[in-house]
Amino acid sequence: MSDIHHPGRRSVLAASAAGAASLGASWLLSGCSGATAAPVLPAAARPGTPDRGGTLRIARPPASDAETLDPASSLSAYEYLGALYNRLVRIGADGDVAPDLAESWEPDSTARTWTFRLRKGVTFHDGRAFTSADAAYTLRHILDKATASPQAGVLTPLVDPGRLRTPDAHTLVVPLKTPNAEFPSLLTHYNCYVVPEGSGKSIGRTGIGTGPFKLESFAPAGPGRVTAYKDHWAGRPVLDAIAFYSVADMSARSGALLAGQVDLLSQTNLDFATARVVAASDHATIARVKNGQWYVLPMLTTDKPFTDVDVRRAMKLAYDPEHVVKAALQGAGRAGWDNPVPPDDPVHVLTHPRHDPEQARFLLKKAGHENLAVDLYTSAYDPLFTPMALAYQESAKRAGIRIRLKTASADSYYTQIWMKQPLMATYWYTGRPVDQLFNQVFRSGSSYNETAWSDKGFDALLDRARAETDDARRRDLYGEAQRWVIDKGGAMTPMFADRLVGLSRKVRGYSEHGFEFDYLGIGLKGA
Amino acid sequence: MLSFVARRTAAALGTLLLSSLLVFLAVQALPGDVATQVLGKDATPQAVAQLRGSLGLDRPAWERYADWMRGALHGDFGTSLVSGKAVGGDVAQYLGNSALVAVITILFAVTGSLLLGIVAGLYRDRWPDHLISTVSLVGMSVPEFVVATVLVLCFSVALPWFPAVVLYGPDATVGQLLPAVWLPALALAVVMAAYIVRMARTSVIDVMASEYVTTARLKGLSTWRVVTRHALPSALLPVLHVIALNVAWLLGGVAVVENVFNYPGVGKLMLSSVQNRDLPVIQAIALISAVVYVACNLAADLGAMALNPRLRTRGRT
Repeated sequence: MSDIHHPGRRSVLAASAAGAASLGASWLLSGCSGATAAPVLPAAARPGTPDRGGTLRIARPPASDAETLDPASSLSAYEYLGALYNRLVRIGADGDVAPDLAESWEPDSTARTWTFRLRKGVTFHDGRAFTSADAAYTLRHILDKATASPQAGVLTPLVDPGRLRTPDAHTLVVPLKTPNAEFPSLLTHYNCYVVPEGSGKSIGRTGIGTGPFKLESFAPAGPGRVTAYKDHWAGRPVLDAIAFYSVADMSARSGALLAGQVDLLSQTNLDFATARVVAASDHATIARVKNGQWYVLPMLTTDKPFTDVDVRRAMKLAYDPEHVVKAALQGAGRAGWDNPVPPDDPVHVLTHPRHDPEQARFLLKKAGHENLAVDLYTSAYDPLFTPMALAYQESAKRAGIRIRLKTASADSYYTQIWMKQPLMATYWYTGRPVDQLFNQVFRSGSSYNETAWSDKGFDALLDRARAETDDARRRDLYGEAQRWVIDKGGAMTPMFADRLVGLSRKVRGYSEHGFEFDYLGIGLKGA
Repeated sequence: MLSFVARRTAAALGTLLLSSLLVFLAVQALPGDVATQVLGKDATPQAVAQLRGSLGLDRPAWERYADWMRGALHGDFGTSLVSGKAVGGDVAQYLGNSALVAVITILFAVTGSLLLGIVAGLYRDRWPDHLISTVSLVGMSVPEFVVATVLVLCFSVALPWFPAVVLYGPDATVGQLLPAVWLPALALAVVMAAYIVRMARTSVIDVMASEYVTTARLKGLSTWRVVTRHALPSALLPVLHVIALNVAWLLGGVAVVENVFNYPGVGKLMLSSVQNRDLPVIQAIALISAVVYVACNLAADLGAMALNPRLRTRGRT
């Protein structure tokens, strides 16, 4: 899927193929069902406990016709992973690393060697016991060049697959090439789900894991089904089964929900018009993933005029993020103030210069860019790109910056515009641990560094932070990194948006944050 | 007659060759290739290079085209760059699903619009005529995805009679697809209907004003008999050509409608293949579409010739 290659690449189909189909559809929807007098969108999922049993039907955008159940692959079918597998560690509701198959973990004094103590009595769906050999194999599988895992780029500089040690069946020792006090957080990534030893060739089809559900059927870009695994180590899940259906077109997905054919739309951020129709419907409603989407206007720091740090500063001071949140998000989210770390992340620091169009004018004049005019690329790839770009354009006008909006084709947006045009609109899912976030998106030379920003001092700061074993001091260093990005970096972060998730009114216990979805607790009421 | 058929067939083959070349070039001109499209944001230089190498994309374009052409002439359409499965079998499966929609659409559209056209012709300039003409024109003017969305809202959301989308994959059985076929078929039929209604109406008006119909009436035949025995056959002739053209148009129309209904047909396959730059699949579908298009036109010409003595005998003089 799509961490990083974003979710629902295919949801674009509607927009690119049928012109403004999705827009037209939601307009029609609201016209027909008389839901124009918009009800306020619900702030949270429906409370209450689900009944035991039942089958939850999830509509999801397929990753590709070449989808696989191999968690390490860049083409993994994301929704299946959390149901079928466990990781060693996951991200807890508080944003910190929490136990999954590892019960505890500790570094040596220099954070160069990490020891994970693994849960006992865990079995895979085929009855085999889970041991440290499986955990070590999972890491080797991710690091294997043939797997071409996106997470290999993060782990290869740290982990030598040949040096992993398994002193006993329930201990995994990971010696690192360089000290890293945040190492466990890198294993919370969804490429890091644990697979049985030696399963690399077959795991893409068998889906044998230790998770709460076991695979019954799977077809790439087609329907599939998982059923409750009764011997799951954390107890059996509430549901009896989950049926996954792949629906590429976003308006088709909403239609399926409104018609009662499915209970939940996965990886789908509904546009406001559609969300209102869903919320007004008899059997469907809206839940939110708070600050689920991180929106960025990356300035390519290798392209004029953004090579000049004063121009970048001016671009940031010139606009008011609160205005963008109001105009583009209708309040369903938070202002980003150019800080890429989400507001609910434990290391987030509230620090940013005030919105100051006069100072922006002054900086531009100083840099020789009075009356700056730049192109800003957007596309129908995501419903919020263009509203965000328009709001930025309007806000920056007050500082004398002229923004020309250019709409690019959605289907080649991430191959032709992203990292190619000096200024564009894009987004990521939030939920990346801070060390991964900074090293992947802001470090010199990283393939996801969308601003091509290269600052040796910043890279050294990241190295100092990951090597710092004192939690409080490390937190300070990550705070400094945030200030550095805000002051000198190329990324503008106007807003964090709540993801508007469409689900049936029967669904109870829905809980999702970042890349964590609670498959154990979700269920249905009165189904 | 025979030389006419031969000439038409030769022209058809030329058209096919040309269209396959054009499609190939068009896809080459699209930004990005299958490696960058499939990998999206994960398209690191190493990953792209690895995927390109394994797919043979590092070879020159003309070489790949020649290879593909050679295979296609032997009935081998190659393997999909994305799924790695044989294109022939894959496309056939999707094509079969689309055929189900197409057949039902044509039955709907032809019978429905002929009937409406005849009624409009018989009640010329009175309210049934105005109603039918206006509604069918509106139906034609509105894009098919809007018609499809309205149908979903009315007949699967407001009145839960039909499923809004198909949740099955391409290997769905006819029994699984059948409940979901009606709305897409209706959406396409609505868009198709206007042409046929207009043609049928005009034919009926012409025929009803002709002398032999007056004679038939004078002989005391009922209106129903006059219409079915005399007016309908003559009205069918011009309609035939319109139907043939519409069958060809259906291939394009289904692409949009199938996506709205998530229907696992060839239109949906085409769209996702274009997005992925999955050249072998695009080529196969384009070639098949061209074959259908050319065959429909050929059939319409020959059919018209068979029904029209003047055209039929021209070759002999």
